[in-house]
Amino acid sequence: MPQLVLDNVSVHYEGQAAVERVSINVAKGDFVVLVGRSGCGKTSLLNVAAGLVEPVRGSASIAGRPITAPGPDRAVVFQNDALFPWLTARENVAFALRLRGVPPGERARRADELLKLVKLDGAGDKRIWELSGGMRQRVGLARALAAEPEFLLLDEPLGALDALTRERMQTTLLDLWTASQVGVLMVTHGIEEALVLATRIVVLAPGPGRVVRIFETGFSRRYATGEAIRSIKADPAFAAARGELTDAIFEGEAA
Amino acid sequence: MSVTSYSERPTARADESSALSVPWSRPRPKRRGISARAVSAITILAVLAAWALSARLQLVSPVFLPSPFAVWNKFVVVARDGFVDATLAQHVVASLGRVFAALIAALLVGVAVGLAIGISTIGRGIFDPLLEVLRPIPPLAYLPLVIIWFGIGEPSKILVITIAMLAPVALSTASGVRGVSQERINAARSLGASRFQLVRHVILPSALPSILTGLRIALGAGWSTLVAAELVAATRGLGFMIQSAAQFLVTDVVVMGILVIAAIAFVLEFIIRRIERQLVPWAGRE
Repeated sequence: MPQLVLDNVSVHYEGQAAVERVSINVAKGDFVVLVGRSGCGKTSLLNVAAGLVEPVRGSASIAGRPITAPGPDRAVVFQNDALFPWLTARENVAFALRLRGVPPGERARRADELLKLVKLDGAGDKRIWELSGGMRQRVGLARALAAEPEFLLLDEPLGALDALTRERMQTTLLDLWTASQVGVLMVTHGIEEALVLATRIVVLAPGPGRVVRIFETGFSRRYATGEAIRSIKADPAFAAARGELTDAIFEGEAA
Repeated sequence: MSVTSYSERPTARADESSALSVPWSRPRPKRRGISARAVSAITILAVLAAWALSARLQLVSPVFLPSPFAVWNKFVVVARDGFVDATLAQHVVASLGRVFAALIAALLVGVAVGLAIGISTIGRGIFDPLLEVLRPIPPLAYLPLVIIWFGIGEPSKILVITIAMLAPVALSTASGVRGVSQERINAARSLGASRFQLVRHVILPSALPSILTGLRIALGAGWSTLVAAELVAATRGLGFMIQSAAQFLVTDVVVMGILVIAAIAFVLEFIIRRIERQLVPWAGRE
């Protein structure tokens, strides 16, 4: 099974260590979430996986091939949607297909399928500035999926959304993940969000960024097998996990 | 239970008039509909009236300031019969032709140079100092040199206007290119864009609003250089018409020519703003 592997990765910015010796494995079908206080290097790690930042030590590889540059096998979705305002929603989604020279009719058809998948059917002709923040993130997700990636890299994709939209987007993310069976590596600040979405949570601590705990969680699998989000969140086990995760994040916080 | 359908509200677009109002003048109900536009119209009418009155009372000799009616009559006469061997329309076409030829040349060179400055360090190293030297020189200053090099034909005139237009186009393009958000570039790269595709599909469209602003400034600069360029052995053109009229003290033609130049500049500005709205409707809404 193809794996996204970060092996003993260290990242320095201008001589300052941002991440020190972190290893993360994401298999296809995994949903790995990175959490931790600011400055723990979550985004740096994601950028290494994306091929946007080169580690000073350690290696990054995907399905055995070393990662040297960004590639469509690992599509990235950013916090600010980074959509192209000169294109319609449909054309944004079809962007990766256009780069590959897919004929216009075919790529419009694919884009409409993906828009339907993110519950935006009928919005294909809309301009980007006519869409709300949540709708934009949906377009961003669909655009990433159009590249038919093996892995999705999500950099706080729901960070800029209001609480209610966020909650709805979490179910959309889970639906997409279940339907596409991609491997996901996601960065978030949300503790509950991490618990709802992840199959594995990697807790990082700052100064320099390193792994302090790894939780294997099963709540997202429960959603995938049909249990409702509300019933999962109401489970006492969820509250217990939430407490444990919060403790792990703030463990060793400078007194 | 899983959420299967819902609708989301598109972000409300700010009303344009409220977006443009000055922040410190609190909106209040307008008093009997006096708008800035009405005041402008009254101002122009007042200037025209003062002009007509001074001519009527013969405060100033017609050689210095012909009356508005004389200017209007000249407009009609020159439009019909022409002045110095060409009708007004032919003068206008000659001038517009030069400006547009120069505009196309300036766009081709300027956008390429601006891209080079914005994208590559070497490009910036080469072109930045050249532009900084060229930019502050008034076109009249290098006109004689251009004539020595290229003669007094059409190419010299177009070249002078092109040089005047080059810096605004190149510098606006460069600033547009530098302003492209890193996230947008990273997103495109992670979707599989090659370096060329990045420029073609992301950087150029992102810089387009800025390029169009540069084009608008360039057109203004080019239009004002035109008169200087047409001083040189032209046989047609608005600048030439004014120049030869001035030599014979036909002041009404001079004033008429100035007004025609102003009117055309106004119309061009209007057209470009329309084009901007058509081409980059997202500008300022991101």
